[in-house]
Amino acid sequence: MKNLLKLLSPFAPDQSGAVGVLYELGGLVVICDAGGCAGNICGFDEPRWFTKKSAVFSAGLRDMDAILGRDDKLIEKTARAVGQTQVKFTAVVGTPVPAVIATDYRALKRMAENKTSLPAICVDCTGTRLYDDGEERAYLELLRTFSTKEYETEKGKVGIIGCTPLASGYMTEKIFKGEYGNGAVTFGMGSGVEDISKASQCEKNIVVSTGGIKAAEYLKQRFGIPFETDFPVTEAMQKVIAHDFSGKKVLVVHQQFAANKMRKLLKERFDCTVDVATFFKLFDEFAQQGDEHLSDEEQLVRKVSEGGYDAVIIDSICNRALKGYRGELIDLPHFAVSGRLDENGGQVCLA
Amino acid sequence: MNNAFYITAGELAQKGFENTPDELMSAKHLIYSSPATLAFNSPGAQGFGVKRAGLAIPGSVMLLVSPGCCGRNTTMQSRLCGYQDRFFYLLLDDTDIVTGRHLTKIPEAVKEVFEFCDKKPSAVMICITCVDALLGTDMERVSRKCEELAGVPVVPCYMYALTREKKLPPMAAVRKAVYSLLKPQKRHSDAMNILGFFAPLNDDSEIYELLTKAGIKHIREISRCEDLAQYEEMSQANFNLVLNSEARYAAQQMEETLGIPYIEMMRMYHIDKIHNQYMSLANAIGVTFDDSAHYEAAKKAIDDFRQKHGELNFAIGEFLNADSFELAWALLSYGFGVSEIYGTVGERNFVFVKAIARLSPETKIFSNLSPTMLDYEPSGKKIDACIGNDAGYYHAGVPTVDWNEERQPFGYAGLRLLLEQLDGALKGDAK
Repeated sequence: MKNLLKLLSPFAPDQSGAVGVLYELGGLVVICDAGGCAGNICGFDEPRWFTKKSAVFSAGLRDMDAILGRDDKLIEKTARAVGQTQVKFTAVVGTPVPAVIATDYRALKRMAENKTSLPAICVDCTGTRLYDDGEERAYLELLRTFSTKEYETEKGKVGIIGCTPLASGYMTEKIFKGEYGNGAVTFGMGSGVEDISKASQCEKNIVVSTGGIKAAEYLKQRFGIPFETDFPVTEAMQKVIAHDFSGKKVLVVHQQFAANKMRKLLKERFDCTVDVATFFKLFDEFAQQGDEHLSDEEQLVRKVSEGGYDAVIIDSICNRALKGYRGELIDLPHFAVSGRLDENGGQVCLA
Repeated sequence: MNNAFYITAGELAQKGFENTPDELMSAKHLIYSSPATLAFNSPGAQGFGVKRAGLAIPGSVMLLVSPGCCGRNTTMQSRLCGYQDRFFYLLLDDTDIVTGRHLTKIPEAVKEVFEFCDKKPSAVMICITCVDALLGTDMERVSRKCEELAGVPVVPCYMYALTREKKLPPMAAVRKAVYSLLKPQKRHSDAMNILGFFAPLNDDSEIYELLTKAGIKHIREISRCEDLAQYEEMSQANFNLVLNSEARYAAQQMEETLGIPYIEMMRMYHIDKIHNQYMSLANAIGVTFDDSAHYEAAKKAIDDFRQKHGELNFAIGEFLNADSFELAWALLSYGFGVSEIYGTVGERNFVFVKAIARLSPETKIFSNLSPTMLDYEPSGKKIDACIGNDAGYYHAGVPTVDWNEERQPFGYAGLRLLLEQLDGALKGDAK
């Protein structure tokens, strides 16, 4: 049955992706939920929660708040928390509860701005979509709200879009600076909302997560900043290329840009055929023939069994779904899938 | 600067429960799920949340029917706790959560799960979340349809975080759910059940000895049932002993449907209260208990500990196998200091706030969930030891006893074990 998972667990949802983008920007982030979604985000999907403080709170909605649509109460609580913390903006991140009751985010944004006198954004997440969808929405809302002024281009300044732990498996910008230079601005990691405001200073953007494409397109359209996609070479990728893939047909399963980089590394080193598959967004313009979007575990099993692959490079948590596969399974952790950070050697990051 | 909100026990006792400041009432402010609180304030983060608790029926599996986000943490839970073969997910999309069309898919999904399992499950628990709470889903009706189609008992579990402060919050509802498959049968005067926890009491708890000496031969706990047959024997009980108030509704249900009456006790650390409760229990079931040896051993443990470590000052958290305020009161009455408590004040435990106020009016009471805890910095009197890993989070480097093991401490043995673990922590033993 479609959407029935018997072997895998659900992946990081859109609200986690949105919070991943907002986490370090200095805002007060309100997850519009009853408490469980915030608990999941902070306890599982946001590994920085244990190393860097951030004003991420749950709205603490109760049934009558939802049924009666008590937005005023939410704004009251938000304003009170703004008075108790030092923040530069407020952000409301959606979950299934506001999705069911059709919360009017535009009204919520206006109410928050009026009550707190701070800029506000709302990210329309539903909990039914995946993390890169939430990243996409959060980046776009941020840019539309803060990146309105056109600054003079700074020569050599590169913007990195999509560097979140969920997409990259890294909690700090070090790996991105190492790959793209110390002057690179890593939006959402080691940078603040001021950097978002000055996004138009960048000469070029590099998108490392599929959740960053729409933002890069926005900046291209608004300020004429060109972009390309890439991903840094990670420790896990280096471990993968220590295997011999000569003459093999290989499938890489990850988020599209990490998988593309893995493919590039494999093809540089070995005479092999490589396809990419992903449970997340797959952009045709960055895909090759044979690449495929996977809607669920059944499709993964079918792709692997029908593709004739000698090796599958995939987060090892998915091995359960590939029990019948006789080829080689090689681990490439993806935090949004298994909660394993590349940064700590592929260990699960838990409270 | 320390902006974390607190109120002293003396001030709070004087104000009275009705005038508890908003900062201590989680419904009145945004909720801060700090690292200190995740273990208890996030679904299934540690211990038994609704999902894991729902699998207390031996041999059962769970189908979580929800948006993907609600099943996300189960990734870790299944892998780390050996539950990976017991969780299944029917993921809802945007249309499902607005129209409720997913309800028609559930029976087929249950059938597919049942057929998929090599070892056929004894029951399928269907766990639904906030979405269905808002849609007003009649899951009892859907469950009956599932039973008809799949030929297996199907039990609904409600992970409704939206109803946390209601009469039947999720952890109380799941306790009702896990006993709901019991069928009436002849009750036996020498059988009883302990309700309240999803893991057994520590084997050395004197409660087993006291009950056994009083003629009770079968003391049953759901977590000790190895199969469905043993689980079903629970309906032979002459009475239920409720050790956690969240099991009260389950006990009431069992009284109605199985005719089993219940008695409620509270886990306490005040030695005299432990004794009084045992005497009340003996009286209620018409027996006598001689707990003097256990009382004396616990008394000696307190005296030895105090002699060895002197007048220690504690910080007490709330992710504990204890009520934070009762434990604080007990420690104060033994002559120790408690300068900080991170806990949730309720009507039920306000009596302990008053008792603390009499012994230590300056004790500070914080709410773990207040946004102001983002800025908490230790200040004031030096803390010698923490109880609860949330307290330990605030006082990094201070000897800490987590006191949240799954096996449950109870009675004099629980008190002795706590002192033993504190002694170990103060000596620098690993947690």
